[in-house]
Parts: sequence; structure tokens; C-alpha cells
Amino acid sequence: MSVGYVAVQWNRHKRVYDACVIGGILLYVGVFFSVGKALFAPPHAISDEILAIRALGTCAFLLLHVILCIGPLARLNRRFLPLLYNRRHLGVATFCVALAHAALIIGYYHGFGVVNPFVSLLTSNTNYSSLAAFPFELLGLIALAIMFLMAATSHDFWLKLFGAPAWKRLHMLVYVAYALLVAHVALGILQTQRAPWLAALVGAGVVVVASLHIAAGLRETRFDATASPLDGDDGDWVDVADVGELRENSGHVAVLGAGRRVALFRVNGRVYATTNTCAHQGGPLGEGRVIDGCVTCPWHGWQYRAHDGQSPPPFSEKIPTYRARIVGSRVQINAKALPPGTPVEPAVISEHADG
Amino acid sequence: MAESPKATSPLGRDEFYVGYLPVPTRLRRFLWRITPTLLVLLAGIAWILASAQRDPGAGIWNDAEAKTFVGVIDASPYPLIRVTDEAGEAVTYLLVEVGKFGGGQRAAPFAGKAVRLSGWVLERDGRRMIELEPGDTIHAAEDVRDAERFAPPRRETLGERTLRGEIVDSKCYLGAMKPGDGKTHKQCATLCIAGGIPPTFVTRDEAGRRAYYLMTNRDGGPFDERILPLVADQVEMRGSVERRGDLLIIRTDADTIRRY
Repeated sequence: MSVGYVAVQWNRHKRVYDACVIGGILLYVGVFFSVGKALFAPPHAISDEILAIRALGTCAFLLLHVILCIGPLARLNRRFLPLLYNRRHLGVATFCVALAHAALIIGYYHGFGVVNPFVSLLTSNTNYSSLAAFPFELLGLIALAIMFLMAATSHDFWLKLFGAPAWKRLHMLVYVAYALLVAHVALGILQTQRAPWLAALVGAGVVVVASLHIAAGLRETRFDATASPLDGDDGDWVDVADVGELRENSGHVAVLGAGRRVALFRVNGRVYATTNTCAHQGGPLGEGRVIDGCVTCPWHGWQYRAHDGQSPPPFSEKIPTYRARIVGSRVQINAKALPPGTPVEPAVISEHADG
Repeated sequence: MAESPKATSPLGRDEFYVGYLPVPTRLRRFLWRITPTLLVLLAGIAWILASAQRDPGAGIWNDAEAKTFVGVIDASPYPLIRVTDEAGEAVTYLLVEVGKFGGGQRAAPFAGKAVRLSGWVLERDGRRMIELEPGDTIHAAEDVRDAERFAPPRRETLGERTLRGEIVDSKCYLGAMKPGDGKTHKQCATLCIAGGIPPTFVTRDEAGRRAYYLMTNRDGGPFDERILPLVADQVEMRGSVERRGDLLIIRTDADTIRRY
């Protein structure tokens, strides 16, 4: 959420986050390298370059697991939202670690030879029909290209340029990259190390990532299935909540049907309704709060005025709003979304309705 | 009405995290606990994975100190030099260049001649190699009067054998890269052998003892490029084995090699 673009809108949280990420990467690589040097002393020493390649490769693979787990973890437990806030920096850091891994491999394994290192990378092994001999490096290379694409377009400039839906689709390629990297590991280092427990560890990582996504997905699916049918006599109005469920200055998510969600906000005894989807990265606005009179997204803190869905000046982002009414103690929403930024009269909560 | 799918949390009801605002107290406490825990976990995983690596073997690459050797060069099937060790025993060193190149170009003019050369020694399981020092470092050794003691050893035919093992590039396997075998080293080994590094077939017996067979074509010449797709794979091959001094050589054909 910004008027102009800067490389990074630094704040204390981002500095601490990045310090932890960089510290964690240095710690991991340092421990891996030091332990490798200590345990494999000459003449059984592992080459320094290979130790570094393995340290960086395993680090990037591990970080990718963390990145993939943050999303569902934050859906299941909001204590993990601080990890989500600056996830893009973690993604860029992961790409840099993976790039260092690839650069060392290209220089060390493919350098000093009869052909250009990049030519060697693509032509030294063409056993595409053999699983055992398959050129697993190619899988890593494609995954690295995807990670580059994501890292290069991680800035909000690209988000705005592509639009949130297209940008999100592009960044969903992370799952393709992950699948490629699992195959890269399975057909590469696991064929060299041949330790069953290492294969089990990689499998466990896949299971953890998949399980968290399934758990979070099931939760969302079950919630979407609770949509209230449209009132037969009253057109597009949908019964979505009881007034008593709404807390002052707090959001509430409700289902309109067909996978559409609406965010309800109770502010000074009035109920406002906006789309549940933040214009930034699609964060769930109904899980946010009202801060300084503005609906605030729980993911990255983007804000919109509750009465018209517009970001407060000088910002210009807009989200769709909905008409709301209260019948008895029930909140009803007109399922026809109003154009983004449309002012709308709130539904006023009477003392009787509030119970 | 069903409950909202809001993420569960023990955070206080009014605590809400926004990245650019101060972190709520209970969440800050949680982050202070979880961050060091994650870092320790990260270090622990690094420790476990680093210690799980396979022993790369006892290959040595003495690249800190170049040594000088006097002996007779033989250029076929691969460039090598025969010298005598301190005990007076004939010892064979394969010759390669710096990088992923065989030593044929510089060694060929000296085939059959006594020379003095310098380079860095690689050694594993009694197999030896010299990485030639760049520059003008091979000279005819006119002062060697008893060159016949370096004469090619008698060939001892050991018969046709079927062997299982891995084709490696001898330079990396002897110590230039550790580990210098296996799937992750396949492309490097392919590049090395394509560059003239002698291919060696390494087998293991049931006790884990390794045997090294220098690979040649059936006619005894350097192996052709048909070998390249099979480098670093677990393969079976059939060939004629012979002993030449301290070297074992297998004469085979790429058509007889298959993955298993």
C-alpha cells in the first residue's frame, strides 16, 4: 500500500524479519560446513566446494518448505501471521541461496572443461528415458527459473501491473517449482547418498506441506458449505450473521454462496460490508480489524474505509462494498457487489437487535 | 450460522498484528520463544544432514606442492609415466592436465622416452596420477642411462570377465573431487572423460574392496565417446582383462555395457 514505489518500505518488523532470515541462513550453512569439515577429516575430507553446494542446496530446499508452510499455518493459527507479513523477502532470500547453489555447481562441475559450462549443463547427460540416469540438474534449473520469475516480480510494482489475480496465479508456480525440486532431490542426491532415512525425510517434508494445505483447505471448504440460501421473497438478500456475533471494531467473515465471501464490520453500532478479498494479495479482510476507522487486512495491513471501500488518502486502492440491513437480530447482505469504492449506508443496530 | 473460519489463536481478543505497528504483547512473547527455537532447529537439521554424508573415500590430491618425477612416458592407451619408487619398484602414474583435460597433447611427443616432469600427485588405493604443472614442465631426461628399467611391463592376460561397477573419471575419483563418483557427479565425470581424462571402471567385492580397471576399446585404444551416456551409472560390462605392471586394464566394447 503505497503512493509511490520504493525498493522496500522498511519498518522495524521487516528489519527484524530479514535479520532472522539472513542469520538463519548463515547459521545453517555455517553449521553444515563446519560439521562436514569436522566429521570428514583428511584423507576422507569432502571437497569444500561440494560441502558448500550441499549446504546451500539443502538450505534452499528447507527454506522452500518453510515458505510453503507459512500460508496454511497462518490460516490455521494467526500467531503465524508475522511470518506471512514479510514472506516475499524470505522467497527472495531462498532464490538467492538456490542461485548460489546453482552457480557453484555450474562453476565446479561444469567449469574447466572442453565445452562452455552452460552447454555442458544442458548436454552432458541426455538420458531422458532412464529414471536412474535422468539429468536431474535440468529439473533444478527449471525450478530456479521459476523462483527467479517469482523473486523478480515479488515487488508491489509487478503486483499492480499484473493485477492481484494474475500475480497470484504466477506465484502459484511455486508449487510447480517445489514438485520439480522434490524430483531434483529424489533423482539426484538421494541416488548418490542412498540412505533410506534421507528419502524418508524428504517424503516427510512433502507430507507436512501437503497435510497443512489439506487441513487449511478443508477448513475453508467446510466454511464455504455453510452458505445461507437466498431469501425466496427478497431477491438478492442473504442472511449471513446474528448481530450478537459481531464485535465492535472487529471483522467477521460470512458466506454469500458460490464461494463468495463478505466481510462484516461493526463500527459504532453500525454494520458495514465489503468484499472479503483484499485488493493487495487477496488477504481475508473479514479476519482483520478496524483501526483508525479503517478496515485493516490481517496479512499486510492494507486499509480501506468501511463506508466506501476506498483506501484513505493519499492512497487510491478500492474494494467492492455491499448493502447491509438488519432484520430482527439478523444481518442480511445484498449479494450484488457494488463497484469498488462505492459509498454505502451502513445498517444501524438497534438496542433491541443487539439483544 | 456456522462459526467463522478465522484462524484459531490464544492471542488476546483485542490483539491484532499489523506489520507496521508495534507487535502485541502476547504475540511478541510467542515470537521471542519461537524464533530461537526455529534457529536451533535449523542448526540441528544442518548438523544431521552434514553428518549423514557418505564417506568420499581416502583419495588425496596433493595440490599444495608440485613434485618432480623421472621416468618413461607411455602414450597408449592413455598418457602415463613409469617411475620407480623409493623401494625400486616400478610405479605407474596416469598423466592429466589442469582442469578436465587428459595429458595426451603434451605427453605424446615424449612417448617411449625418458623424461623429467613436474606436477601434483593424486592417489587413492594405490592408484596414482600426476596433474602436470602448466608450462614447459616436461623435458627429455638425457641423463637417464638405465631407461630400460622403466620399460613397459609384460602383459598378463586374465581372461574374459563380466564385471559390475561404476565408470568414473579417474582424476576426480582419485581425489580431485570428493566425492568423485555417483549420480551427482555424473555430468562432471562425463565432461572429464570427454576431455581426455582416462575412464576407469571401479568394482567392489563383497568385502567392499575396490578394484580399478583402466578402460580401453577392444583394440586396446582409448575408449570412444559411446561410453559417455553410461558414465557414473551402475553398469555391467564384459571384457578381456589384463594386468600391465601395477595396472589392471579391461578391453571392452560400449555395446556390452548396460545399466543394471
